[in-house]
Amino acid sequence: MASAKRNKTYRSPEASAFYTAGLILLGIVVIAFIISLFWTPFAPDATDASSKLLAPCLRHPFGTDNFGRDVLSRVMSASKYTIFISIAGVAIALILGTAAGIPAGYYGGLADRGIMLLNNSIMCFPGILLALVAVAVFGASVTNVIWALGLVFAPTFARVCRVGTMEIKELDYITHARVMGVRPGRIMTLHIFPNLIPQLLPATVIGLANMTLFESGMSYLGLGVQPPDASFGKMLADAQAYIRVAPWLIIFPALMLVFYILGLYFISEGLRVSLSKGGK
Amino acid sequence: MQSKAGYLIGKTVELILTLLVVSLLVFAAFSIIPGDTARVMLGPDASESQVELLRAEMGLDKPLATRYLTWLASLITFDPGKSYAYNVSVGELIAQRLPVTIGMSVIAMIMVIIISYPLAVLSARKPGRLGDQVCSVIGHVLFAIPPYVASLLLILLAGSIFSLLTVGNYVRPSDDFAGYIACLLLPSFAVALPKIAMSFKFLRSSIIEQKTADYVRTSKSHGLSDLKILIRHVLPNSNVSSITIISIILSDILGGSLIVEQVFNLPGLGRLLLSAISRRDFPLLSGIVFYLAFVTVLLYFISDIASSLADPRIRLK
Repeated sequence: MASAKRNKTYRSPEASAFYTAGLILLGIVVIAFIISLFWTPFAPDATDASSKLLAPCLRHPFGTDNFGRDVLSRVMSASKYTIFISIAGVAIALILGTAAGIPAGYYGGLADRGIMLLNNSIMCFPGILLALVAVAVFGASVTNVIWALGLVFAPTFARVCRVGTMEIKELDYITHARVMGVRPGRIMTLHIFPNLIPQLLPATVIGLANMTLFESGMSYLGLGVQPPDASFGKMLADAQAYIRVAPWLIIFPALMLVFYILGLYFISEGLRVSLSKGGK
Repeated sequence: MQSKAGYLIGKTVELILTLLVVSLLVFAAFSIIPGDTARVMLGPDASESQVELLRAEMGLDKPLATRYLTWLASLITFDPGKSYAYNVSVGELIAQRLPVTIGMSVIAMIMVIIISYPLAVLSARKPGRLGDQVCSVIGHVLFAIPPYVASLLLILLAGSIFSLLTVGNYVRPSDDFAGYIACLLLPSFAVALPKIAMSFKFLRSSIIEQKTADYVRTSKSHGLSDLKILIRHVLPNSNVSSITIISIILSDILGGSLIVEQVFNLPGLGRLLLSAISRRDFPLLSGIVFYLAFVTVLLYFISDIASSLADPRIRLK
């Protein structure tokens, strides 16, 4: 029966395909990360002069690099930074963005104008530039990369929150709450914020992916995760000199990086499809 | 309804305000450097008198507001002081590096348009068909590949299969214009790839949306051919949203080319930026950052004006 099908768990086949593909790709990286916490085939930074630049073989499934380090082990441990930085950075962006966006949308007027002017000004810097400057000024370290990316991404969330709040505050239940004398702070945190979650969720997932794009670019330039810690970007930068002789040094880190980003994109597409179709 | 002139004035005021805030942000970023800027720039080995000299030279002994105003005035006259590391004026250094960055951005933008438009039109003809689905999946994958990773993969492919394009040799446009274009092709393509996917996605959905509009049905009942409807009605209407997308894409391309230059060893703004970062050359750094942001602000401004001319309804919002 048609009506029975439209229960709470109904998902369009398109959304399901996106979720499945996304979770598989993301799963590969996350599982590699979880395993790396307990075990890697070799120590990620253990050099071995007798096995430099080995092509993928049984002992080293992803080959070895110019110091004889096992690429599989390095890729596994590099996933840690990718995952950690993207989650921490998005958390900062989310907190700052909601803290600025909801009041801007709720109060409107001059506060709104001021916040949006700052917002738009930050968005005028070509993405990575602001993060690079922050790192240039405060030095390259994981903490600074996280703060820089958090700041750069905050305006995106602020925008989502502001628009959502402007719609929600016109609804009857908010007027009721206001008439009953509920304080603005309470209205914003308890009545508006929970209703923004459906819009914030896809933005968060996309934010994780974009943040990874930026972080890996910064690490590639040598301004992100610092050696000897492995990160996808740094691995790719180091591998460039051996691009002709050892393409596996490029291919495996690139694959893992793209799996993570693509997995997140697919999940956000799935969310977008199911939310836009009113799929409950 | 707001008049054309009123809209233009409002937008111009917004432009100037945004530029002011942008300049304040850049200035603030370089003023809150922990410790003494001159000391940070010179490093721990410099003597106290050297530091004093640099402080006076950079005007660091003057109050913050004065420094900001002098800096702002120097930006407007396109002469934002001297680079500390190169000992050349910042404007000159930037001008030297512009051909690479601008060339790459222009070529990449052309690639985005000539590849994504036809594909989007073809895909939107019969959405859901195999060809459309293949394009969409490839689009998603391309979107997820960072430009610098795409560059490495392209070098791998181009190097081993064609060995056509020499990587890492930059030719000046004044020496050999064809050679200049040729050496920028591969890097531009790497920058363009994810943006082709982005532009394809937006155009495709906007064409599909337009096709269900009433005016398309009316034109069809008047006997217009599909091609004519597409060219005369559907595309112009989807152009409005693509003006905005194009300005976003252009600013992304600019940011992406900063990194890709590094992969291909091209002497563009990106490399200048990196050397300014590693040498702690703050006058140069702040100049590059401000002018890059300035270009982006200008792009958004132009795109706002262009979309309001293409679609007067926008002025109502």
